[in-house]
Amino acid sequence: MLSGTAAMGSVFAAAALAGCGGNASAASVRDIQFWHLLSGGDGIKMQAMISKANEGNPGFKVHPTVLAWGPPYYTKLAMASAGGRPPQLAIMHASRVPGYAPGGLIDPWDLDLLSEHGVTAQSFAPRIWDKSQNNGKVFSIALDSHPFVMFYNRDVAGKAGLLGGNGQLQEAHSPQEFLAMAREMQKVTQAHGLSFGYLGSGSQMWRLFYTLYKQHGADMELTPGKPMVADNEAAIESLQFMTSLFDDTVAAQSGDISTGIAEFARGGSGMLFSGVWELPTFKKAKLPVDAATIPTLFGTPAAYADSHSFVLPRQLNVDEGKRRDVYKFVSDILKGSLSWAEAGHIPAYQPVVQSQAYRELTPQIHYANAAEIIAYDPEAWFSGSGSDWQTYFAETVQNVLLGRDKAADGWDAFVRRTNTLLSRPNPV
Amino acid sequence: MSSLATSHDSEGQAGTLPGLSRKKPINQAGSGRTRSQGSRNNLNGWAFAAPFLAFFLVFLVWPLLYGLYMSLTGKSLTGANDSIIGLANYAEALADADMWHSLGNTLYFTVISTVPLVIVALVMAALLNVGLPAQWLWRVSYFAPYLLASTVVSLFFTWMYNPQLGLINDTLVKIGLPKVAWLNDPGVAMWAIVIATLWWTVGFNFLLYLAAMQNIPAQHYEAASLDGAGAWRQFFSITLPQLAPTSVMIVLLQILASLKIFDQVYQMTAGGPGGATRPVVQYIFESGFTGYRLGYSAAISYIFFGLIVAVSVLQFFITRRRSA
Repeated sequence: MLSGTAAMGSVFAAAALAGCGGNASAASVRDIQFWHLLSGGDGIKMQAMISKANEGNPGFKVHPTVLAWGPPYYTKLAMASAGGRPPQLAIMHASRVPGYAPGGLIDPWDLDLLSEHGVTAQSFAPRIWDKSQNNGKVFSIALDSHPFVMFYNRDVAGKAGLLGGNGQLQEAHSPQEFLAMAREMQKVTQAHGLSFGYLGSGSQMWRLFYTLYKQHGADMELTPGKPMVADNEAAIESLQFMTSLFDDTVAAQSGDISTGIAEFARGGSGMLFSGVWELPTFKKAKLPVDAATIPTLFGTPAAYADSHSFVLPRQLNVDEGKRRDVYKFVSDILKGSLSWAEAGHIPAYQPVVQSQAYRELTPQIHYANAAEIIAYDPEAWFSGSGSDWQTYFAETVQNVLLGRDKAADGWDAFVRRTNTLLSRPNPV
Repeated sequence: MSSLATSHDSEGQAGTLPGLSRKKPINQAGSGRTRSQGSRNNLNGWAFAAPFLAFFLVFLVWPLLYGLYMSLTGKSLTGANDSIIGLANYAEALADADMWHSLGNTLYFTVISTVPLVIVALVMAALLNVGLPAQWLWRVSYFAPYLLASTVVSLFFTWMYNPQLGLINDTLVKIGLPKVAWLNDPGVAMWAIVIATLWWTVGFNFLLYLAAMQNIPAQHYEAASLDGAGAWRQFFSITLPQLAPTSVMIVLLQILASLKIFDQVYQMTAGGPGGATRPVVQYIFESGFTGYRLGYSAAISYIFFGLIVAVSVLQFFITRRRSA
């Protein structure tokens, strides 16, 4: 159905170009600037989706600009918006929206206009739709949710006798069970049971920590002007469990993201904690890979996640025609997000998730339940993916994971650092 | 301007451009022609200087003044809180442990990088100056790294320092030494960055030293060897004293360059581990561009600016006393 529409669109576009000789039609094509931070496999997928949408809509042409992930992207987007000449459309992590919406850097979405294209609140899972709200308005439209999950090597798990009757990895229900499973896998690989690269990466440390913290059923609140509200016991227990992983049997004592991924990809370990976006890497490496959400070790199912979401950076002068095109473009991309799911992400648009084609995607379907248990970063102007706050987490916690500091000391230092941020004037 | 307009043509020489007159009047202050030529020369001077002055005013003086104004406001990247809040940002910065920590890191880097960057450059130049064969090869290999972009150098050293797969740890293990967490141990990371910086930038100082050494007259060495002075004696009694002005310049340039450290650190450790390598320039960048607080960031810049001015003034007095 979708491919049929696109094919018709491309035929029409080709005919229009051929018939008009280019010039006349070029004048009526509206150019839409679109910034995103998706590189690697994600970037290639996004480019293909944009090209498809462009072909299906001869009235506009979306020009993507790809910027480096993290602080460079968010700084440039904020500066462009503050200056009033940002792109017509941009991708942000949903967790970063609270740092942009109150300051007027992005505009709310018009739900009536969106519903004209068949996209409504009912098109999204409740957790994801809730996250798109700020002060009662919708500031972001999620394309996906991308949780932190557990990949595993089916061959290694099979040899270690850890596969269940359904061919999937048995579930661990406590830290001890998980460590025992990892040690069984280590006997098979002779290297490590689990790969988890974290050195120098606040994002990686935070993703696993927050998953484990939320599995305690604990909450975290950041209110400017007030000290951070958190469950210290849950935090310290989570950090202690993380530290217990790095004994050079369960997992390598010192590894960064790339060494962790490389180790898992060459069969040096049975499991890997990482983001779903790594899936294409392992498929390409022809690894017998499967995946699941990180096992519930502390009672409450939870998975750290974020969403790539569409936002409307505030323009000095809004071109209504272009803005209408943006709504059409976004709805086209959402409806075509099955190909985005192939890159590992869980589509936010429910009709895609409920489609037969998505149900046939493995291992994606094995962690699709994550959409119901995902936890976004606690909201503050300084939190979220690629934020300084995650860097501060690395600064205070890396030495705990390396076995040099006590978990309680590392956590206390992070709380102090956070409280300093909360005590300062909110710049947004 | 007015003298140019009124007195120019009365005594102008036919067929000669006023500014190019060969018969230049001497000691004729007050004569119309001198004033005219002086004004014309002035005008030409201003015209030549204007492009530079315009850039200087637009891109240096104006930002400097605007930054100073900004440091007195609560201005944020989103444009909010534009009101003047006096010295509150300065007071906050002076009480900010992270500011002092990053400033301390910058000074620490400056000290531990300047010493080897000067001494190693001197040794390299001296070795080359005694007449090693294949001089061009040494010169190229010493200077070539300086031409690389900081990103290239940072990537290169990040791979070399990789704890699991890096060349350096691999070599250490092969010769029976333990692995080192080069960029992840707070006690080692700054030294790892110094080593990378040394490899990258020592070629510039080396070149300055080599040029200065080759300018020392050969007669000095001839006379010294006739008097029976050996190679070491010649080095300490002729080469080093003759290099003194160059050394002062290299040390000054090196201190200023090291104080501005940012690129390598940002790319190799992002200021980690545990903030152990975060220089003050990175803290300024973080406060302003990722923390959105432009006013606060400007205040820290001015505190840092004050420090650099103080270092330069100190240096100025030290060199003046030496030359006096």
